Amino acid sequence: MSASPPLAPPSARPRAAVPAALIVGAASIATLVVAWQVVAMAGIVPARVLPTPLDVALRFATLAVETFSGSTLEGHALASLTRWVIGAACAIALGIPLGVALAWLPPLRPVIAPAFELLRFIPPFAWVPIAVLWFGASTTTQALIVFIAAFPACVINAHLGVSLVDPILPRAAAMLGAGGVATLRRVVLPVAAPSIFTGVRIAFSNGWMALVGAELVVGKQGLGFLISQGQINDSVTTIMVGMIAIGALGALIDFGFQRVERAWLPWLAFGAKRAS
Amino acid sequence: MAPRRSHAEPVPTATSGGATRAWRAAWRREPGRAAWTAIAIGSLCVMLGAWAWATRPGGAIPALFLPPPGDVAASFVRLVSRPYLGSTFGAHVLSSLDVVIGGWLLAGAVGLPLGIAMGWWRRARWIAFPLFQVLRPIPPLAWIPLAIVWLGIGEPARIFVVFVAALVPWVMNSMQAVHSIDGLLVRAARTLGASDRQILTRVVCRTALPTLVAGARIALGNAWTTLIAAELLAATSGLGYIALNASRTLEMGILLVSMLVIGVLGAAFSFGMQALARVFAPWSRGART
Amino acid sequence: MARVRREARIVTRDAAPTPHIAHSAAVGAVSPRDASPAPVPKLELRGIAKTFRTDHGDVEALAPCDLAVREGELVMVVGPSGCGKSTLMSIAAGLEAPTSGEVRVDGRPAGPAGPQRTVVFQRFALFPSETVEGNIAFGLTVAGVARAEREARVAEQLELMGLARFRRAWPHELSGGMQQRVAIARALAVRPEILLMDEPFGALDAQTRTVLQGEISRLRRVMNYTVLFITHSVEEAVYLGDRVVVMSSRPGRIRRDIAIPHDEPWRGLEIEDASMREEFIRYKREIWELIRTEIVRE
Repeated sequence: MSASPPLAPPSARPRAAVPAALIVGAASIATLVVAWQVVAMAGIVPARVLPTPLDVALRFATLAVETFSGSTLEGHALASLTRWVIGAACAIALGIPLGVALAWLPPLRPVIAPAFELLRFIPPFAWVPIAVLWFGASTTTQALIVFIAAFPACVINAHLGVSLVDPILPRAAAMLGAGGVATLRRVVLPVAAPSIFTGVRIAFSNGWMALVGAELVVGKQGLGFLISQGQINDSVTTIMVGMIAIGALGALIDFGFQRVERAWLPWLAFGAKRAS
Repeated sequence: MAPRRSHAEPVPTATSGGATRAWRAAWRREPGRAAWTAIAIGSLCVMLGAWAWATRPGGAIPALFLPPPGDVAASFVRLVSRPYLGSTFGAHVLSSLDVVIGGWLLAGAVGLPLGIAMGWWRRARWIAFPLFQVLRPIPPLAWIPLAIVWLGIGEPARIFVVFVAALVPWVMNSMQAVHSIDGLLVRAARTLGASDRQILTRVVCRTALPTLVAGARIALGNAWTTLIAAELLAATSGLGYIALNASRTLEMGILLVSMLVIGVLGAAFSFGMQALARVFAPWSRGART
Repeated sequence: MARVRREARIVTRDAAPTPHIAHSAAVGAVSPRDASPAPVPKLELRGIAKTFRTDHGDVEALAPCDLAVREGELVMVVGPSGCGKSTLMSIAAGLEAPTSGEVRVDGRPAGPAGPQRTVVFQRFALFPSETVEGNIAFGLTVAGVARAEREARVAEQLELMGLARFRRAWPHELSGGMQQRVAIARALAVRPEILLMDEPFGALDAQTRTVLQGEISRLRRVMNYTVLFITHSVEEAVYLGDRVVVMSSRPGRIRRDIAIPHDEPWRGLEIEDASMREEFIRYKREIWELIRTEIVRE
């Protein structure tokens, strides 16, 4: 049989909207970049204040190969990432078990809640001055700030995820003979996993943002340090390169994490969730 | 571990097995209100006691690392009774509040209409949303050096940074709030004869109100957090400025007081906005952010 | 003769006799015609009562209830909503502790919940992070059953419930009817001594329910499980039950215990055919009358 005339898929019209949105979006970003280039070239504002996008791109290439303030762009990025990984890993390793324990063993709540709530509202950057006094301008200081920024999100979301598990599921596990540990490991934690993952995702992003703030204040390496050096040297291009690198790495971390989440939680209806 | 069920095993005797079960059950139950309060106060007292004990003269922790609670209290009294770094404590707090409220309101004035428009007209969403997607991953703090180069070390730079920090939650939440409204509500209003303008003001904005207020709360939290960082870098007054100076001059007590005040004000903003949500949108007690 | 003896042991709390339904005296009472000593009931609820503490004072959900289910018997519990049927079920399963009274299995205190008494819940309660296979195997896995044995039993259940095609599916990919089949398979895979069903078809649409009722009736002929089955459907109760226990509400108590003999002419028919038979309708009307007076009484 030769090909029968293709049937128009029922979703043809709504699907057509996606490319249109993409085209308009890309056009709007392109317009902004072009407008920036034109304004900067017109000389209305001095190039010292507003360099052209082209200047920024060139500076990006330069920083990638040349040493600036102690290392190349990659070196600074690597320094930042190392601190971020240490701090975030500690926050996850301590925060998730604490959140799960708070939800699973309610008598722990009044023990932990007062101190947690008192400290939670102190912004991570407010810890920078005291962290510097404690640990000097070291990786420990930076990692501590990342930890402080990331920890509450891990605790709160793990707690929320476990407390929102439908109570019928532990009951079903109990009637099938599962003990407390088996119920927690095989039923409660997998069901709470999406919320826990959300917490980790927020923690990653909070930690990354806080790290930039910490590096602005202390340290001799890192992307935050790079942009603060750009400020001292009055080099707006350097600042912008640093900002772009920070944003791009943050977005990359988030994107990668979403991939991991999908791979690890195959039972979630990601397709359905996106469609609705 | 206590023996688990299984009919083949002899049933545990009422005393031992019953006690184990009761003990386990107690761990899985929320304590009552009175017990909760008692444990909470007890826990705070133990922590305070441990702090005082560890930092006592000759204790494990030197005062330069962590001052005893008494020193912190004394520093608080000193801070409110005499001017510090050129102005009174109240003036420092007001200076911080000034910038945070100013930047937050400014961001709301821009972000709220923009977000509602982006939620309501899909063309507006197509144009503006990608821009925000591109700008969003850049932490507000990363704007501080740029703000200093552009606007100098002064209030405008800080307001700018706070504005940037607050703008994204304002826009994103307003957009989400309007965009996620049940189309059935809009159709119902239309069949009842409402015009487009009436639908937008009477139905859409009202239904979206809880999410809008939640966005405002997140924006204020972000603004406050960012301001503190900005004050560490570019300020001559404010709570962050006090903290940084106290750290340089090794006045640990003052440093801790400034951190505590920052935390208390942050908490006050959060709870205040939640109270506001209850006043303006009393029908949405369960609304989440 | 055997038939008569079974009916003679029926529990009744309401003394008023009804024309065509047999009654007897008390719980576990031995009929005078029965010479052998009374067999110990498989599942026995002795004086089970439950009181909930609320802000507005104590609420008595269940008045002391006695109920005995013999080996291989299917007992249906019907009653108006809010009569404490589900509380009775949770207590029977060991998921909730009674305020007073005792649950006995084979004449011994039953202890906490476990695979000896498995439950099929109204809301399915499938583990969302386990596949169909994983759900069915769950009880065997936590009991440490060897892999080969586990796989054999899962395969048996998949076959029995017609789920073989869906073995690797996630619960959210299945229809309600299929999900409930998985839940039943999961409850049966551990080879429980007693199966407890808590309005298992309450959340299903009418057509799916009819099919599953047929399945249960068929399953019963294949395997002789001891079943306590909670329902709000009088028709379902008459169709599936060996006995129907009618509960009254606030506080819940057992009002009447009605035997439905195996030799009724409509046995073996599909439910839609059975429910048109005169004898079936007579039972249905009888039970419905009891429930209606309960609802009106409130």
